[in-house]
Amino acid sequence: MDLLSFLNFYLVPGIVLGSIYALGAIGITLVFGVLRFAHLAHGDMATMGAFLVLALVAGTGMNPWLALPFAMIATAGIAVGLHWLFYEHLRRRSAILTVIASLGVALMLRAIVQVVWGVDSLTYVGGIVRPESYFGIRIKDREFWTLAATVVLVVALMLFLGYTRWGKAMRAMSDNPDLAQLSGIDTRLTTILTWTIIGLLGAAAGFFLGINTELKSLMGWYMLLPMFAAAILGGVGRVEGAVLGGMIIGIAEECSVIFLPSEYKSALAFAVLLIMLALRPTGLLRGKVL
Amino acid sequence: MTADPILSVAGAVGGYGGADILHGIDLTVGRREIVGVIGPNGAGKSTVLKAIFGLIRLRQGSIRFEDQDIAGWPPNRIVRCGIGYVPQVDNVFREMTVQENLEMGAFLRREGLEAALERVYVLFPDLVEKRRKPAGSLSGGQRQMVAFGRALMLDPQLLLLDEPTAGLSPRYCEQIFQIIRDVRAAGVAVLLVEQHAKQALAFSDRAYVLASGRNRAEGSGADLLADREIAQMFLGG
Ligand SMILES: Nc1ncnc2c1ncn2[C@@H]1O[C@H](COP(=O)(O)OP(=O)(O)O)[C@@H](O)[C@H]1O
Ligand SMILES: [Mg+2]
Repeated sequence: MDLLSFLNFYLVPGIVLGSIYALGAIGITLVFGVLRFAHLAHGDMATMGAFLVLALVAGTGMNPWLALPFAMIATAGIAVGLHWLFYEHLRRRSAILTVIASLGVALMLRAIVQVVWGVDSLTYVGGIVRPESYFGIRIKDREFWTLAATVVLVVALMLFLGYTRWGKAMRAMSDNPDLAQLSGIDTRLTTILTWTIIGLLGAAAGFFLGINTELKSLMGWYMLLPMFAAAILGGVGRVEGAVLGGMIIGIAEECSVIFLPSEYKSALAFAVLLIMLALRPTGLLRGKVL
Repeated sequence: MTADPILSVAGAVGGYGGADILHGIDLTVGRREIVGVIGPNGAGKSTVLKAIFGLIRLRQGSIRFEDQDIAGWPPNRIVRCGIGYVPQVDNVFREMTVQENLEMGAFLRREGLEAALERVYVLFPDLVEKRRKPAGSLSGGQRQMVAFGRALMLDPQLLLLDEPTAGLSPRYCEQIFQIIRDVRAAGVAVLLVEQHAKQALAFSDRAYVLASGRNRAEGSGADLLADREIAQMFLGG
């Protein structure tokens, strides 16, 4: 296999898949870091975002990329709503209760998707897309835009967390929730803000998966394991870590088919997760210990 | 008793949900006064500070700050009304820079952030060159200064300090005590929990001795230091 076919058949798809995992893993790492539980409904929230784009495309005929921002905002609203309806009440109880509740929420979201849109595979736009070739590297438009949008979203989030008052409040709450509270930070508002961001990014991850493959009611659920693996690999609570972890798992999954039967692709994330937990439970970038 | 106290706690009873830890604590802090609280480990010293700051709810008793009854207020309301608190442990944001720690202390402050930072850096010149370092990477003494500085960012009228010199070298202890004096000279009252009992008594205007969640003695630092019984109980003879 020469370098160009490696790039075209494995690395480019790996980076695209990696961006999708990265956006999903950021959400997971934020819930872990700021709110301190494993959010099992994250994949299905992404599914919901992907199908909301479909609803807009089908309803108005608009370009899916233009529909994305609206679907992201709607999903952020759903995320905040889920927090109010389900998670907020369990805040003072043991974290495992919230985790189990999030499993219930996952099933519920999936059921809604299946009732409204059915269980068959769907696509945003029909037809075959031919990749453009740049110096022999072939990349499809949608792949290019997925990468570009991921970069924009990640950079925007980093700037927000690093330089704004409320972004710093989120980091403070992730770092030391008691001290955040007694410094006068409004932890309720910070929590709502966190869910807003989680919803925005989750919908984007779902849409990118949908536009690069197809829409299925279980698409987000199947993405849950690699997203968790990416978050833990990068270090829980660390946004840069989630991006790094997502890229590693995405690229590793696509490259694994070189030497493993493709049925094992999804087992790879599981293997990475186990090895990481055994060797370095704080993750590559020293996150929180679970 | 103090004539015109800024803080007065009367008959405080409460704990962490199980059995009561405080069994009726009374204490007052006057304006510009440094009041020490000493007592053996587990006496309830930290618990009193947490109760004042609204981190635990009292079952009985009142807490007056200025002219308001603040018992039952949430911590963010208490910060806003002019009390600063430095907890005994976990008192910095480890992964955030020194400057960000200070900024978080001023989260409620809409303006004058630069001036407040400037004032804190004047009190703690050591922190200036560390301001871009994560607080978790500093030495214990410097971390204590970050925590202290964070609590000063809103210009509190009253500071609650929980063992600010625990585990510090004599050099840092002296520095912290000096800063407490400076802060008081700037008009702030200080309620100081200390494990170095002798030092605390010598340093405070007045002090309370607590044991098992009750007041055991109170008086001027000098009187308590001279008291034989107290010396035997708490000062190691
Ligand atoms: N978070 C807590 N939950 C339950 N009990 C606590 C907690 N913190 C302290 N205690 C108990 O309250 C008592 C007083 O503790 P504390 O106020 O920290 O003592 P001091 O600061 O005087 O050493 C101790 O018996 C301690 O075990
Ligand atoms: Mg204590």
